[in-house]
Amino acid sequence: MAGLSSPVHAADPTPQITVGTQEVGLTAGYLLPHRLTQDHTTKQQGPAFMPSWMMTITDPVGDGWYRGQVSIGAEVVYIQFVEPVAAHGIGFAPRIKYTFVALDRIRPYAEFAGGPFWTDLAGKIPEESSRFNFVLMAGFGVSYFLTDQAALNVGYRFNHISNGGTRYPNLGLNASLPFGGFSFYF
Amino acid sequence: MTHHLFRWTLLGLVGLASTTMGCTRWIDVIPSSTLQQESITRVISNDERVPLVMDGFRMMQNGAAQNPSTEIERRILNTVQETRLFSTLVPLGGNISSLGDKVVAARITFDETIDPHSGAAAWKGFVIGASMFLLSPVIELDYDYAAQASLELERWDGQVKRYEARSAGTAHYHLFGATPIMIGELKGQVTEACLTELMDQLVRDTNFYMASNTPLPDSPILSVTVKARPPLRSPVSLSAVPVSTAPAP
Repeated sequence: MAGLSSPVHAADPTPQITVGTQEVGLTAGYLLPHRLTQDHTTKQQGPAFMPSWMMTITDPVGDGWYRGQVSIGAEVVYIQFVEPVAAHGIGFAPRIKYTFVALDRIRPYAEFAGGPFWTDLAGKIPEESSRFNFVLMAGFGVSYFLTDQAALNVGYRFNHISNGGTRYPNLGLNASLPFGGFSFYF
Repeated sequence: MTHHLFRWTLLGLVGLASTTMGCTRWIDVIPSSTLQQESITRVISNDERVPLVMDGFRMMQNGAAQNPSTEIERRILNTVQETRLFSTLVPLGGNISSLGDKVVAARITFDETIDPHSGAAAWKGFVIGASMFLLSPVIELDYDYAAQASLELERWDGQVKRYEARSAGTAHYHLFGATPIMIGELKGQVTEACLTELMDQLVRDTNFYMASNTPLPDSPILSVTVKARPPLRSPVSLSAVPVSTAPAP
């Protein structure tokens, strides 16, 4: 039988992220402090590194600008505090992300992550009294797909660290975290 | 010390269970292509076979028209070819000038229904994440796929016969077992079951498509066995090869 002559389809430039597609990425940013009350005095800041893994669990849903898909995963959050004292923090945070897919290669997303966080800042600042804490992060970003499998990401997160009331004082630390990074999909 | 050891052992076991049981997946297909009864077999003379020409191919997904998929068209044609009911298969747009007067025209509709259960998956994903993935072995995610194939064959004298088959399946998986390959496997198995059923129906009407539309003579002329393809689990070959012949018994 000769070659089939049904209509020819042009190559689709849109990245095909489907159920089961995994994403690994590395994100880096810089923590900038927010003192939300008069009791907050610490200007904690420093670089943050967040390697992550995600699994896409839905095909694109919805129509129009909000068409998107959900992925869940986790990331390791490492923060190297350089102010007010040199200290470290490391945590593990499950993460959920909604990615808007209406714009093909440019894909905005909203995300939320939270989990346990250990830091040796405790006792060195008035806001935190225990080394065991929780980190909560919520933010948004945009991915630009360089290829069907690789994307650059930039965005913003609000970062909150506190111990959940397990010890006092527990004022918590709040910060902005602008970030950039890349992801690889497979 | 013993308490410490017990705690880490327990954590290790929980982690091991999460990563192994959380990776499982399986597929249910109805009707199962592997459970179908033995295919119907007919014998047709080589001279009695006529060409089949693709006259139309429509694809639908969840009720909406789609661009025709070359892959699906090839798969359907290969399945028809494997019945050896027709002498030649001509895809859409193929050259039909030298086929003669007796030609069967085929119009195919392939309707896919996909339900990825996105809402449930999102909520379950949130719960799995909130549990630090500890619930991943016990929370099951599902992906449904159904295929309905309609084959309309018009004989050279204008008589039309219509065949229809449907198959559905569900991929059940845990979070760490999800992969795009799983969805491909589901669609492949469902399509296979659907086309197998369709070809069984087609082969029952073998006599209708014989060039003379009369019973076979007893003379020992070249003939082939006409039957629906047995269920396959391996991917279908996309190549189109000439139909082989064998002497009649």
